[in-house]
Amino acid sequence: MSLLTQTLLVFVVTFIGYMHSYWGSTMCNRPIIVSTLIGIVFGDIHTGLVVGAALELAFLGAVPIGASNPPDMTSGAAVATAIVITTGADNGMAVAIAIPVATLVALFDNLQMMFLLTYAGHMCDKAAEEADANKVERIVRVASIGNKVVLALVVAVGYCLGSTAITDFIEWVPEWFSHGMDVVAGILPALGIAMLAKMMVAKDNFGYLILGFVISAYLGVPTFGVALAGTAVAIILFFKEQKTTEKEEEIDDNEF
Amino acid sequence: MTTNSKKEMSKKEFRQVFTRSMTLDSGWDYERQQHMNFCYMMIPVLKRLYKDDKEKMSAALKRHLEFMACTPHLVTLLGGIMTAMEEENAADENFDESSISAVKTSLMGPIAGIGDSLIWGTLLTIAVGISTSLASKGSIMGPILFVLIINVPGFLLRYYCLKVGYSSGTKFFATVNQSGLINRITKVACVLGLLVVGSMIAQQVSITTPLMINVSGMETPVQDYFDQIMPCFLPACAFGLMYWLLSKKVKSTTILICLVVFGCLTAALGIL
Repeated sequence: MSLLTQTLLVFVVTFIGYMHSYWGSTMCNRPIIVSTLIGIVFGDIHTGLVVGAALELAFLGAVPIGASNPPDMTSGAAVATAIVITTGADNGMAVAIAIPVATLVALFDNLQMMFLLTYAGHMCDKAAEEADANKVERIVRVASIGNKVVLALVVAVGYCLGSTAITDFIEWVPEWFSHGMDVVAGILPALGIAMLAKMMVAKDNFGYLILGFVISAYLGVPTFGVALAGTAVAIILFFKEQKTTEKEEEIDDNEF
Repeated sequence: MTTNSKKEMSKKEFRQVFTRSMTLDSGWDYERQQHMNFCYMMIPVLKRLYKDDKEKMSAALKRHLEFMACTPHLVTLLGGIMTAMEEENAADENFDESSISAVKTSLMGPIAGIGDSLIWGTLLTIAVGISTSLASKGSIMGPILFVLIINVPGFLLRYYCLKVGYSSGTKFFATVNQSGLINRITKVACVLGLLVVGSMIAQQVSITTPLMINVSGMETPVQDYFDQIMPCFLPACAFGLMYWLLSKKVKSTTILICLVVFGCLTAALGIL
């Protein structure tokens, strides 16, 4: 596959990934999807899936809540997966490529959101002043899709210019670094998982985390099974809590 | 009091608001976050109500271009409530326009609070936990399940939120809040999320040591001792350390850099 074809494919896949926020926040910008898509178009689905899973776990803590804008995992996943497939490097290298790429592209995206999109917002204000709803619609459409096109272009051009340099780098890399990256790829999920846990943990539910761990560590139940059991527990608790709240209300009535 | 006949939201308009709500996060900017796309979502409604009144149209566009920060999958709830209020505003001349902005501003925080923990917390955790364990073995079911786990509930929520928001208007939040339903859903969702998180520590974090130790003339792998303490002992330690560092407010980028250094060092020394 020529570099030009590769670049074009990277452009298409990253664009589809970025457009997830225009098509219902489907989270198709996450590595597990982007890497799989790259795997499909580059003709190596298996590598796409395996690298996608590794990168998904590495970027687990990257969620867009409030005004925090996480590393741009879409570009990281696309570029890293494409390079791993074309060079045959291992998963640890995928993480080592994805993180700097994602950080750089996020910087660029931040600039877009600071200036370009803010400018579009001000254009909307002007159109609103003239009560021109059609104009507002046009600006929003162009700005929303346009910033995805720009971003995908940046990633594709970066891939085109940088991939040989990265490939050379991979060939030059010493053993301790590539094995070190494997170690990092193994431990990194712990960071993402800890970030998720922090969002949910309270004093009265910490036990469930230990329970989930024990079920998988000692009994070897896969995560899907734990999720199903968890759903059962959630349903039971949901109706139990309903009863207790109702009871409390009854007690309140009696007191009255 | 002059009251114009109130026109209901048509099916086509409902569909338009629904599809446009899907774009909420795509025009995000630092000044007012999702304001452009929120206004974009409201425009079909505004066009019906204020087609012939330039002044009111301008005012309505402006108030929906105000700051907006909400979970994209639940924003239709706000959209439905806003539609109901705009209809009242169009029908009743004495309606206080500023109350629309006030309701919007006061509701987006709580809605985003629930939505963020539900969607980006619980749902994403479950989807990632299940899909990565399948995909890492090379199964295409991984990404397929990921898309389904996020989007079936996501789109159902988006649809019903618009419906409920529109039909019950501002009353909605008051009643739901009083019954404690939201509190219960969040609580239960956290339980489910934490069970999955616990399972993921065991399934997804992989740390083993190749070190050998000489015990009375026999070369024994150190890993065996860890396994005797508890299966997945090192992953559990790593999780505990990360959690402790995060609660000490150490930045995740700092942890990442330290981790890279740590990984290279231990690899070079042959410890991990």
